[in-house]
Amino acid sequence: MKVLVTVKEVAAVEDEFQIAGTSIDETYLEYDLNEWDDYAVEEAVQLQEAGIADEVVAVTIGPERSEETIRMALAKGADRAVRIWDDALEGADLLDVGAKTAILEKVVEEEDPDIVLSGVQADDDGFGATGVSLADALGYEWAAVVNHLDQDSVESGTASVRRELEGGVEELTDVELPAVLTIQTGINEPRYASLRGIRQAQRKEIAPKTLGDLGLDAAAVENELELTDMYEPETESDATYFEGGPDEAAGQLADLLREKGVGAQ
Amino acid sequence: MDFALSDEQKQIKEEVARFAENEIEPVAQEYDVEEKYPWDIIEKAADAGLLGAHIPFEYGGADYGNLESALITEELFAVDPGIGLSLTSTSFGADAIMEFGTDDQKERFLEPIPTGDAIMGAAISEPDTGSDVSSVSTQAEKDGDEWVINGNKMWITNGSIGDYYVVLCETDPDAEGRYNGFSQIVVESDRDGFEAEKITGKLGIRASDTAELILKDVRVPEENLIGTRGMGFLQQMQFFDETRTAVAAQGVGIAKGANEAALSYAQEREQFDRPISDFQAIQHKLSDMHTRTEAARMLTYKAAWNVDQGADITKLASMAKEYASRVAVDVANEAVQIHGGAGFVNDFPVERFYRDAKITQIYEGTTEIQKNIIARELLGKGY
Repeated sequence: MKVLVTVKEVAAVEDEFQIAGTSIDETYLEYDLNEWDDYAVEEAVQLQEAGIADEVVAVTIGPERSEETIRMALAKGADRAVRIWDDALEGADLLDVGAKTAILEKVVEEEDPDIVLSGVQADDDGFGATGVSLADALGYEWAAVVNHLDQDSVESGTASVRRELEGGVEELTDVELPAVLTIQTGINEPRYASLRGIRQAQRKEIAPKTLGDLGLDAAAVENELELTDMYEPETESDATYFEGGPDEAAGQLADLLREKGVGAQ
Repeated sequence: MDFALSDEQKQIKEEVARFAENEIEPVAQEYDVEEKYPWDIIEKAADAGLLGAHIPFEYGGADYGNLESALITEELFAVDPGIGLSLTSTSFGADAIMEFGTDDQKERFLEPIPTGDAIMGAAISEPDTGSDVSSVSTQAEKDGDEWVINGNKMWITNGSIGDYYVVLCETDPDAEGRYNGFSQIVVESDRDGFEAEKITGKLGIRASDTAELILKDVRVPEENLIGTRGMGFLQQMQFFDETRTAVAAQGVGIAKGANEAALSYAQEREQFDRPISDFQAIQHKLSDMHTRTEAARMLTYKAAWNVDQGADITKLASMAKEYASRVAVDVANEAVQIHGGAGFVNDFPVERFYRDAKITQIYEGTTEIQKNIIARELLGKGY
C-alpha cells in the first residue's frame, strides 16, 4: 500500500514586520513545515511502521529553498519526495486551489497511491480546500477534518475515520479507498526528527519536476484569484471581570461562554 | 571560506531547539531546585533519537562530527545547562571506545547509548588528581584473566546513575616516563565492590549527576581494557581537542540563553516610563554581550570544524574553551544585572545561567590550565 502526503512549506512573519504592497519582505519571514501537514506525515509514517503502508511519498509545490523544510518529512520517515516548481509558478503571487489541484492531480495519477493524506489547511494562505478539491478532481472518496483514523481498517480497503464537525460534534464514517483524507491537528503526536533520521534524509530523493514533466502547461495554473491588498487587522481585546465567590463567578462564566456559542448541543 | 551552516546543520539546530523549548524549558527550574537527574527527559530524548549524536551509524548513532555536536550542545545549553549536560553526557568516554575499542567492545558499550538503554561516563579525576592528570593513583592489577581495581574517582559525571565508566587506572607503576603505565578500563556499575556517592550542593548544573566512585577490589574481565595497556594517558590526551571544544560550545549556549533572556527582559521591563532597553547603559551591555558571544561562537565553530578535518588543534581548542567559558560567565553576570532584583531569584532563567556558567571555567581543564597550554604552544615548549 502506498501513501502520498501533500506537504507545504509555509511562511510565518516575525513579531515585527512590514508589508510592502501585497507582500512581506523575506527578511521578516521564517519558513516551516505547515503544522497540519506535520500531523499528516506522522499518520503516514505510523501506517508504515505498523506494516500497513509499504511506501510513503511526500509531494510539495515549492521552490528549491523549500527542500530544507520538506526534508524534515523525510527525516521523520517518508521514503522520498516529489517537488514541483516551474518558471510559470515563480511569477505568481498566489497559487489558488484550482492550480494546486491541477498539479497534484497529475502527481497522484503518476504515483497511484491508495491513500492521500493532506493537512486540513495551510498556515499561510489558509484556503482549507485543496485536499477535498483534489479528491473531487480525481473522483476519489474523501473525508475532511479527520481527527482519528482506524489503522486496521485501512488494510481492508476502507478507512474508518472520525471527523470533526462544528460545535464539538464528531462524526464516524467509512471511506472507500482510494481516498483523500484531510488531517486535523491532534490526530496524533508528531515526532521529533531523530538525528539519525536527519542524517539519512540527506540521501533520500527529492525529485524535482516541472509543469512540463507532468504534462501541464502554464495555462493549467492560471489563477482566478488576484491578490489585491494586504494589511494588518486592528487588534482589539475584550476583558470581562467576574465579581463574587467561586459559584457565582463560575455561573457568570458559563453564561458568557454559552452566549459566545461555546458548547453546542 | 564558508561561514554558512548546511541545510542539514540547520535542521539539526531547529529540531534540537524545538525539543529543548517543548520538553526541557518547562521543567528546567524544577530539576535545578530539586537537584535531581532528569530521567523522563532522557527517555523522551532517547525516543526522539537525540542521544549519542557522534556514535557511529553502525552502532545506532547518527555519526555526527564535532561541529554538529557543538550545534546540539549550544541549543540544549541555551535552554538549560543542567539537563543539557545530562543529555550530551550519556556518551561520555565513548570516544576512547570508538577510537581504540575492539568490535566486541563497540557492540557492548556503544550500541546501548543512542537508544537510551545505557548511560556511560569517563572517570579520570581523583580526590588528589585534578589538573595534574598524570598523578592518577587508582590501581588496576592483573589477576589471572581479570583486572582488580582499587581507588577513588572524583567529580564523575553520571557517577551515581550510569551503567559503565571508562576509568583511567595505573596498571604499570614501574613504567618509565611520567605519562606511561596508565590504562583505560571499562568498569560496570553492577560489579561487586563498586560504590557511588552522589555529590550534592553544587552551585550549578544541578540536574546533571555528579558522584564520587569508590572502587574496592572491583574485578572486571581483561577484555574490558580499552586499547593498549600502559598507553591510557596518551589515549586519553587525544580527546582533549574534542572535549574542550564541547565545553566551549556549552559556554556559547549559556551565553546565547542569557543573551536572549536579557534582550527580551530589557524590552519588557519599564522604568521612568520607558522600556529599560531605551537607556544607553543597557544598550551597551546588550551590544557587548551579543558581540562577545558571536566571537566565542566563531572561535568554537572554527575549533570544531578543524577537529572534524582531522587537524591537531591543541592551541585553538584551548583558546575556544577558555574564551567561551569566560564569555559565558561574563554574559550571564550582565544578564542578571539587566534583570536587577528579578534576576536574583529563580523566576527567570538568568539566575540559573549565572550559577551554571561557572563550571565551564573549571572542568575539562581550568582556565589557568588552558592559558598554560596556549602559552606553551605559542612558545613551542612542548609538554
